[in-house]
Amino acid sequence: MTTQQTRPSLDDPRIAIPSTSEWYEPAPTAQTERQAEFLNLRDGEMFINMGPQHPSTHGVLRIVVKVNGEQVVDLDPVLGYLHRGVEKLCENADYHQAICYTDPLEYVASLFCEAAPVAAFEKLMDVEVPRRAQYIRVLTMELNRIASHTLFQGWMALDLGGITPILWSFIERDEIVDMLAALTGQKLLYNYYRIGGVNGDLNHEFMSRLGNWMSRAAAQIDSNTGLINENELFVRRTRGLGTLDQATALRMGVTGPNLRATGVPFDLRRDHPYLVYPELEFNVPTRDEGDSLARYMVRIDEIRESIRIIDQVLHEMPDGPVMAKLPRLIRPRPGRAFGAVEGPRGAYGVYAISDGTDQPFRMRIHDPSFVHLQLVGPLTRGNLIADTMAVMASLDPVMGGVDK
Amino acid sequence: MARIPGSGIIRGMGLTLTRFFQPKKTVMYPEVKPDIPPRNRGRLELVTDERGTLKCETCFQCAQACPIECIDMGGTDTKGRYAVHWGPAEQYAERREESAMRRSGRTVSNAAAAQASTIDLRPVEAALERVDYDPHHMLQILEAVQAAYGHLPVDALKRISRATGAWYAMVYGTATFYKHLSFEPGRNRTIAVCRCANCLVAGAGRVIGTLTFEFGTEFGHAIPWSNLRLEALPSHLPDAPSPLVVIDGEPQRDLSSRNAEAWAAALAGRYAA
Amino acid sequence: MAWSRLTPGGRALAVLLPILSIGGAALTALLIVAGPFIGATIGANLPIVRFLAASVITFLVTVPVAFLLIYMEMKIIALMNLRIGPDRIGPAGAVMSVVHGLKVLMKEDFTPPSVDVPVFTLAPVVVYLASFMTVMVIPFAPDLTSAGLEFGLLYFFAIGGLGVVGLMMAGWSSFNKYSLLGGIRAAAQAISYEIPLTLSVVGIIILTGTLSLPKIVEAQGGSLLDWFIFRQPLAAIIFFIAITAEANRTPFDNTEADQEIVAGFATEYSGMRFGFFFFAEYVNVFIVSALFSALFLGGSNAPINLPFHPEINVNLGSLGVMLPILAGLAPVAGTLLFAAPIYMVSSKIKGWQALLGGFLIFGALSTAAIGFWAWAMLPPIADLLFFLLKTFALIFTFVWMRGTLPRARIDQLMGFAWKWLLPASLLNLFATAAAVLLTS
Repeated sequence: MTTQQTRPSLDDPRIAIPSTSEWYEPAPTAQTERQAEFLNLRDGEMFINMGPQHPSTHGVLRIVVKVNGEQVVDLDPVLGYLHRGVEKLCENADYHQAICYTDPLEYVASLFCEAAPVAAFEKLMDVEVPRRAQYIRVLTMELNRIASHTLFQGWMALDLGGITPILWSFIERDEIVDMLAALTGQKLLYNYYRIGGVNGDLNHEFMSRLGNWMSRAAAQIDSNTGLINENELFVRRTRGLGTLDQATALRMGVTGPNLRATGVPFDLRRDHPYLVYPELEFNVPTRDEGDSLARYMVRIDEIRESIRIIDQVLHEMPDGPVMAKLPRLIRPRPGRAFGAVEGPRGAYGVYAISDGTDQPFRMRIHDPSFVHLQLVGPLTRGNLIADTMAVMASLDPVMGGVDK
Repeated sequence: MARIPGSGIIRGMGLTLTRFFQPKKTVMYPEVKPDIPPRNRGRLELVTDERGTLKCETCFQCAQACPIECIDMGGTDTKGRYAVHWGPAEQYAERREESAMRRSGRTVSNAAAAQASTIDLRPVEAALERVDYDPHHMLQILEAVQAAYGHLPVDALKRISRATGAWYAMVYGTATFYKHLSFEPGRNRTIAVCRCANCLVAGAGRVIGTLTFEFGTEFGHAIPWSNLRLEALPSHLPDAPSPLVVIDGEPQRDLSSRNAEAWAAALAGRYAA
Repeated sequence: MAWSRLTPGGRALAVLLPILSIGGAALTALLIVAGPFIGATIGANLPIVRFLAASVITFLVTVPVAFLLIYMEMKIIALMNLRIGPDRIGPAGAVMSVVHGLKVLMKEDFTPPSVDVPVFTLAPVVVYLASFMTVMVIPFAPDLTSAGLEFGLLYFFAIGGLGVVGLMMAGWSSFNKYSLLGGIRAAAQAISYEIPLTLSVVGIIILTGTLSLPKIVEAQGGSLLDWFIFRQPLAAIIFFIAITAEANRTPFDNTEADQEIVAGFATEYSGMRFGFFFFAEYVNVFIVSALFSALFLGGSNAPINLPFHPEINVNLGSLGVMLPILAGLAPVAGTLLFAAPIYMVSSKIKGWQALLGGFLIFGALSTAAIGFWAWAMLPPIADLLFFLLKTFALIFTFVWMRGTLPRARIDQLMGFAWKWLLPASLLNLFATAAAVLLTS
């Protein structure tokens, strides 16, 4: 026999009406760290999740911003969307193949990602690179640095809302990338450096394109920078924004233009010379302000220095082979080596340990973008949301290298 | 440097206006194709000699050297037993080299476990040998295997796929397509009962009731603990003195409307035993 | 049937022909039967009919204007970027924006869950309504305004300020933090810039003594120097900056700053609702440019007051049968006439080149002649042309700025409004008032 269920009504004396305090659920306890942050939000604060798909995060970076109105209270970059385990992949590939894996890390300037492991492996193998190959490496790396910095200039303007500079920058970058494609075969991931040399001598098409470009490069880049360098809106937005002081920069391990913008003239090319840099004449541009504008201006100055270096390299290029005599199978003696180059974003280093087999036993990759990304939080705290993007752009991280 | 406020903006405006009239850099892509530099390594092609025959001798060295495993090959042997494969790498035995698989993040088969679990594959080999490893005779191979084992073991199918070069999915598809090929050991047995009005009057209802009760299942379902299925026959509707029950295609003669219930109970008891 | 064998044009004809014939017959019958009645009704309610016609025309004007502006923006910025820009659809890609509009129409009209549905749906309507209602008071030419209101300027500011309510609605109802920030930015920005915007034109109101836009335009008649941009230069600068912010244009496009808050208030919108926002933005640009040219650039007045206004009274009907013969012969004769000297001037010029040149010269001259005739016979057309010329020059400036400048930060933008523009507009107001007091 079934009894008919009646809906409970408030008139039913058997039902006790809970007091007001019991109507509310008990305060939820935080299960994760992020949840705890949510629960501890103060009045007027909210979280904004920028990325991984946001119009102006460089690559797939996610930033969790705690804002009070427009003001950034706290900021938390979340990494790892591009993680592939490159170090581990390299340890399971032989020495030549490892260069392929490090290549796409800093995809904007991938020659530097090849130069660092190649330098480390050459130290392991104790091989002398032919002088012509050294000059070619310097030449191509400086070209790549210009390509990266011109693109940075456009990015910076784009993140501040200007849409034209990025396209002008891409015109310059395309010219460089096209000539590098004529030399290396590829446009983005060149895979040009080999252990003991480079993968092919300079060819006619590269040289003619380079000559064409060099004849007007300096003037063209100056003209492009004229659009925003002195623009009041641009200068007012970047001057004094995200100021980084020398002590913090050194403590955090900042390198490259971001360090030089604080007034520390540290440049691996001059202080720990590699290849033929000691024989070349160039300045290390620095600024004292340490703000976003200084970081921008240091990079613009570096473009001019790079053009100067390319001029010298073209004049002093010796003849000879471009590849050292090496066995087919690279099998270095057991040992360890550290190779580092000064990339467009900072010191890019590879620490390799060999156990005598044809694969590296351990490969540690140091990427400057990863170091610089930790500055985004301290530098933007207390500024506006719009400044987050300006600071991010001025630090110029590339997420491929950050996530590895 | 004291400057007039706004002069930088005005300079920039002037610059964009001059660029407005300058020649454009757009490459009209579909009409104008960019030059591919001769050193480009973008497309992988098999090189042919002047007579138009492939120079590739299928040594797989390129596939092994390729660091990111984008090269993947099949081959043709001298007897014409293999076709060139294009497709996912998992399909080719020759690409199952252990370190390559490990590097590409795939599982590596454990040789010891594989040994322990395999059945005796000699009949499969014999069947394959008979058709010279030709995947076009798949049905013949499968029938031979079925005759040898009584059913089609999964390991045999894998062996067939690997030896003939046919995709496992295709072998499997062939095996499932034909009714007389079976994956389960032992044939499926079907008890089919007609449910037309005449049969129901003659006692089919009691047969159905008893069977479903005894087997604990419903019509149209396999019986969980055996390879039996209870199924309904399409209505036959002749003037039936007894319910029509068909076991494995054979109509049962020895039941009438009177002993239907007992007969069904006996049948269930026979199978349960 | 033969349907499958018809060409697309044939199918269109097969559909349209019966509709047109039946509709035409029905309309004719209706006019015969009810014609006098309809005429009498229209005659009796002329203001209402005029209002309806004006609103429909105003509404219809906004659509091609928005299309034109979108195309201009795409093309001009592309050319400044050293790109080619749209060039596939239509001549020089001119129909691209129309296709964009169709694309937006065809997209799914998606309402995200957890939005405030009525507010979310109404927001684009309010924004578009506000911008197209302001078109009604724009003095395209003397006697060519939808509503020549006596208080047109006030109406403009009142209705123009309504648009920000729509943006706020969109920002609030979208249930999205970016939208919320965008809506709040829009409100803050609009309120800040409304004040210098309004204060800067008070000088003009003092000088002309009217709020009616046609009368303000009338007051600038005469020579170039009568334009208010020369009599009120400070006000013109303030007004220009303020309308840039009002129309959410670079460098003051903080409400929809892609790099900061994705798309601002429009983040959650898709399909035609987004299209409404998009259209409203460009209609706004047109409106503020039109207002600037009406207030400061003399509106429909010619830059130079031509000393003579020719009276051409050619009665074409008196030519009789010669008219078609002349019309047929004139191009041939004109082409030959102009081709002859080109052909004779150098032996390198081939015959067909000379003919082409002659035809082009004749075409240019005859077009100029017809244009001059139209200008002479129909003053409103010339006035309208002058007005549109000024307006589109301003629109070009806006697009040009978008192609050049980076964005101002929101706090700098607000500080600029309150610390610089407001005192400057007050200064302008006092200076104008003092000058008027002293001279009168």
